[in-house]
Amino acid sequence: MGAIDDLTTELARLPGIGRKTALRLTYFLLKRTPEESRRLARAIETVVERVRECSRCGNLTESDPCGLCQDQRRDPRIICVVEDPADIGAIERTGEYRGQYHVLGGHLSPLDGVGPDELNIDALLRRLGGSGGGGQVDELIIATNPSVEGEATALYLQKLVRPQGVRVTRLARGLPVGGDLEYADGVTIAEALSGRREL
Amino acid sequence: MPLVTTEATVLQAFPYSETSKILRLLTPQNGVQSVLARGARRPKSRYGGILEPFTDGVASFYYREHRDLHNLSDFELGRSRQRLGRDLVRFGGASLLAEIILRTGSPQAAPEVFAHMRASLGALEDAPDGDVEPVALARAWSLIATLGFGPALDQCVGCGVDLEPGTALFFDYTAGGLHCGRCAAPAGAGRIIPGAARTDLLSFLAGEATALDRTAAHWQLLGRFLAYHLIDAESLRSLDFLAAALAPA
Ligand SMILES: [Zn+2]
Ligand SMILES: [Zn+2]
Repeated sequence: MGAIDDLTTELARLPGIGRKTALRLTYFLLKRTPEESRRLARAIETVVERVRECSRCGNLTESDPCGLCQDQRRDPRIICVVEDPADIGAIERTGEYRGQYHVLGGHLSPLDGVGPDELNIDALLRRLGGSGGGGQVDELIIATNPSVEGEATALYLQKLVRPQGVRVTRLARGLPVGGDLEYADGVTIAEALSGRREL
Repeated sequence: MPLVTTEATVLQAFPYSETSKILRLLTPQNGVQSVLARGARRPKSRYGGILEPFTDGVASFYYREHRDLHNLSDFELGRSRQRLGRDLVRFGGASLLAEIILRTGSPQAAPEVFAHMRASLGALEDAPDGDVEPVALARAWSLIATLGFGPALDQCVGCGVDLEPGTALFFDYTAGGLHCGRCAAPAGAGRIIPGAARTDLLSFLAGEATALDRTAAHWQLLGRFLAYHLIDAESLRSLDFLAAALAPA
């Protein structure tokens, strides 16, 4: 395989990019100055080297703990649990929420082999429990997607956390059923946040 | 490329690309089919988030012969099963039925399997809180019977003699049924099950949920039996999930 084929194949693996678009991108990169293309290559390399999961909340970050976990102005007594790092961005854009986050890394899905052990749940329990600086959390807002699996995940967490005496709430309806939080508009998410209910 | 319009139940849905989903559908006349739902993950998708596990409806797709994946053109919602997500055992039980069908299903017509699944989802949704486990067990065993590999409980799998009800007998996973007391020590893997459990099992195979004091042994029996009778012996993920959901916190 030649260099052009190699790059085209790699680009075609990206979401939303088919073989044809990948080839067009390859030729586009070849038309730019070598320095411009090197800058793109370096940016990709840097991201891969520097970005990690925050050991506290599971968010993607360059510094560990991440900026959100380190931010003193954020309320450490509230943790909002989301499925994916991209969901944090969606909630942050509403400007309505000043607590902390926790990223599960997906939702329970028996058929896909995703059980509790496959999700970032132990770290969440550590944050709620006494050891490791926890024990100061009052409320857990469960913001998993409003799908069957997201709902089941919320329920599982609620059962797990209840003995710790933490108030557990769930984002209110108003979000499109079966939709992805990441794609919901700000108003919808803000409404869902303000109308969250006790589980 | 004929357009097929059929009743369908979503067994599984997973993301495909940023904007689309792949669905595994159970249909009466076309068995299990995979369809691509373009744009289903977009926020303003015309499917409006109904393409989720266990949803009932009428699907239209362009059927392409000798292909594994067809293009969905429409899905009209019959009934959303969102409520199943509000209880882990109902959710796990429904997933188990879907997993058994996916592991055994084919694109052949199977109207009785379709009817069974649709009834099962309703039964799991509507079961009173205390009865969810027996209902899930009954729906799983009766699905196995509907699929044609239910265990033989009336006659010995070794010698064919009629079995007296009420006694403890050896359940042979490999042979798929019970051994009479006289048959020599069976070679296959299995376990002795008490008379009461035999009676429960007979009800389950007929789709009737009986009240149970303890369910752990029944889940284990079902798991072992399935491990011997599905194409690959790998344990079912939904059963592992159910075990975790039922474990005391
Ligand atoms: Zn963090
Ligand atoms: Zn015999």
